Amino acid sequence: MCNACGNPAVPGHWTDAGAATPGDRLRARFHRVGVLNAILRPYGLTAHDGGVVPGIQLSTLSGAGVIVQNLAEVWSEAERLIGRPIDPLDPRYLNAE
Amino acid sequence: MLSDVPEGRLRLTILGGYLGSGKTTWLRHQLHAGTFGPNVHVIVNEAAETPVDDALLGKVTLLAGGCCCCVGRPALITALRGLCDDRSREGGARFDRIVLETSGLADPAAIVAAIQSDPVLVNHILIGETLVAVDALHALAQLASEPLGRRQVGAADQLILTKTDACAPGDLAALQATLAVLNPGAAISAAVLGETVALPPVPPGTMAAALPPLPEEDARGPILPTQIEVDPSLDWSAFALWLSALLHARGDDLVRVKGVLRTPAGRLLLQTVRKVVQSPEILPETPDPGQDNRIVFIGRGYDPKDLTRSLYHFLGRPLPAALKPS
Repeated sequence: MCNACGNPAVPGHWTDAGAATPGDRLRARFHRVGVLNAILRPYGLTAHDGGVVPGIQLSTLSGAGVIVQNLAEVWSEAERLIGRPIDPLDPRYLNAE
Repeated sequence: MLSDVPEGRLRLTILGGYLGSGKTTWLRHQLHAGTFGPNVHVIVNEAAETPVDDALLGKVTLLAGGCCCCVGRPALITALRGLCDDRSREGGARFDRIVLETSGLADPAAIVAAIQSDPVLVNHILIGETLVAVDALHALAQLASEPLGRRQVGAADQLILTKTDACAPGDLAALQATLAVLNPGAAISAAVLGETVALPPVPPGTMAAALPPLPEEDARGPILPTQIEVDPSLDWSAFALWLSALLHARGDDLVRVKGVLRTPAGRLLLQTVRKVVQSPEILPETPDPGQDNRIVFIGRGYDPKDLTRSLYHFLGRPLPAALKPS
């Protein structure tokens, strides 16, 4: 854990499972942030994960940014920034082509 | 309590409890510790088509695809009759006890009624105690909103509180007081990961939680299982993204998600209870991976087809023709 920022507070969020080796883990992080960006773009949010520091950096188009620890926090921060939760079962989202 | 002399009949123990209350965890430990003796046969019932629990328990009779207190009842009766036949035959199986782990949606009282009204089974099976696992973390919320949860508690001879290590002492005492009101006759014990632990005494003056009266069914509709087949080429990271977003937005409606997914690290057992995801467990490889990459969602408040549509949409893949909106 980093002495200054306390990051990461808890090792291993459940979404980090599925990659056994350090190489796999890094690949999974890069891949994940790519998919995440495609999802967040319509909401005006960007995610960045450089693979060096732990956590995911989330920022708005106006430049406000926050570092979150895991995907569960990504969704709650996104809800705070957008004003409503990103609901994968939202009919508007489902019916958009 | 029924007589301890089974008169040559099979003793049946019913293990019930709400979805995710820790039935299989408890049973797995008891089988390992030999609580039920060496001659025990286990029957596991799952409401969904995809069995997961049998992977954890080893050799069992599995009744999947229908809760055995309602749609799966004929299958349960047939399975029990088969076991009785097998045991009566010369040189047949030697067991003197059956443990039935019900699905999380089952009402144990309906199962007892079904067995006792069957003319064959009533002569072969002595119904022993009904054990009901109660999730100490979520039970108060479930009892406040789910008629089924109350029926399960009401049917129990013995209530086993699980996950008590993660529960605040005040909440645990309130839960004990509430259970004592709902089912004053049931003995209450506690277990953490199947291991029996001592339950702290309820402080005097602890009030039972006030439970609102409930209509028989919720306005959001009944809780139904939905199964999603995941493409083997689907990657785990993207799936985890989707599921974490879904749980964040719909965690209160999705009472349970479970399944085995293929990942680069191996076969990953995934289980959630509402918004809580258990640490995924890597399972040993199996010669028959037919049940892998199928996820069962148990919940309500959504159209079951929307789950698959949403997953495909999230991943930017074209929808299968059968799921296109009309």
